[in-house]
Amino acid sequence: MKSYLKLVNFEINRFFKLYLIIMALTVVSQIMGTIIVSKGNMNYINQVIYENQLSVSQYIEENRPFSFQRVVYSEWFTMPIFFCMALLMIYVFFIWYREWFGKNTFIYRLLMLPAERITIYFSKLTAIMLFVLGLITLQIILVPIETFIFNRIVPAEFRTSYPLIDFYSVEIWRWLYPNTIIEFILMYGIGLIVVAIIFTAILLERSYGLKGIFSAVAYSVLSFGILVAPVILSSIYTSYFYPSEILLMELVTSIIVLGSAFWIANQLLKYKIRV
Amino acid sequence: MIEVNNIQKKYGKKQILNGLSFTAKKGEITCLIGVNGVGKTTIMKAIMALTPIDSGEILIDGQKIRHDSFEKITFIPDTTTMLPTMKICDAFEFMADFYKSWNSQRAEDLLRFFKLESTNRIGNLSKGSLAKVNMILGLALDVEYVLMDEPFSGIDIFSREQIAEVFTSHLIEGRGVILTTHEISDVEHLIDRAVLIDDGKVIKQFSVEDIRENEGKSVVDVMREVYR
Repeated sequence: MKSYLKLVNFEINRFFKLYLIIMALTVVSQIMGTIIVSKGNMNYINQVIYENQLSVSQYIEENRPFSFQRVVYSEWFTMPIFFCMALLMIYVFFIWYREWFGKNTFIYRLLMLPAERITIYFSKLTAIMLFVLGLITLQIILVPIETFIFNRIVPAEFRTSYPLIDFYSVEIWRWLYPNTIIEFILMYGIGLIVVAIIFTAILLERSYGLKGIFSAVAYSVLSFGILVAPVILSSIYTSYFYPSEILLMELVTSIIVLGSAFWIANQLLKYKIRV
Repeated sequence: MIEVNNIQKKYGKKQILNGLSFTAKKGEITCLIGVNGVGKTTIMKAIMALTPIDSGEILIDGQKIRHDSFEKITFIPDTTTMLPTMKICDAFEFMADFYKSWNSQRAEDLLRFFKLESTNRIGNLSKGSLAKVNMILGLALDVEYVLMDEPFSGIDIFSREQIAEVFTSHLIEGRGVILTTHEISDVEHLIDRAVLIDDGKVIKQFSVEDIRENEGKSVVDVMREVYR
């Protein structure tokens, strides 16, 4: 346990500088975006009022007020989120491959630590999950701040309220920021399983070389197949299963897939890994 | 004692190790000798469970290697095992964090002996200095067995002398050492046992002192007989 915590700390420290940079980029881009989009809209409104010689009440009668949604749908807001997601996806692979490649082969040291080798796997998995949760927390903190800035720039008569609950209900955000605890566990539980499958697939490749690539692909396809089987089953036999039954099936398949990912990774790290 | 019993290993279709067996005792320096590509590094890696073997058995004091064996045995490969971004002192801290057997005092002593600065960044070190850092990371562990892969390969004469000095010091005394080399002249005067390897097998193993006293031969003489 002590080694696991130390390794998690070590993994986090290795990515921390870059992580802070992408966090700073997100903050700067979104806050700048909030200011630019809000001011841009206000400039447009003022121009329309000026050019048409309207009063504020006349303008409001003829035009619909706008909400914070305009900021949310702007590239200033979405681009850093997609950038962070893309970077973390790359990092899921890089977190392993950097140990073998490059100037120094740190994998020697990791595999010679006096701790169960699966600890390395768990520490990397935990680090990825913490990075994801950290970025989500940042976003949760940022949205009220950005709403506050938006409200300061856009006078009340020109805007409608955009409750946070609406923000979290919009398509992609619903995936990123689930509304309920159950949704949260489902979304991030599935995220964890996907990362675990990728990690185990990487270890298959690292253990068996070229043959490992084929087995990694086969293993991944099989795992994802098992994982989505309940959903496919429920779409074929519509109205045959209760939602709670589908959820239970999903839970069982998730446990099977996650358990087998851990078991295979443990066997590979103990007996098959090559440096 | 480290026992390597009848191990086999293939890389693709090429048989690298073909029923190779030898033992290395505590308190002795055993040298694996063979030309490049004969499988010396593979043997080291196999002992440390860093590469799987196809068959055979490797025992350390009668037991298969487990995670806690790494407090008992260490491997000094000919590549750097710490991150280039780390300073030497960071590497020491890492070792102290994870290994109960890490001896900080000895690490500091070795650092002074090798005339290295703890604030030096590993990525900026020369090959010779890297070899010394590797040596410190292995020797500052209070372990019973030390494996060294080509400790003299590609480093300057002064660094070689310093490393050779370590072999004759108390730092090695009492430990079981296995080292590999393809240039025996560097280590002949340091080793107790020689294991000659060819075609994935041990073709001869002997006590260096015995062969010197009884037959008046050096390791190089025996190698000439065996390999020619």
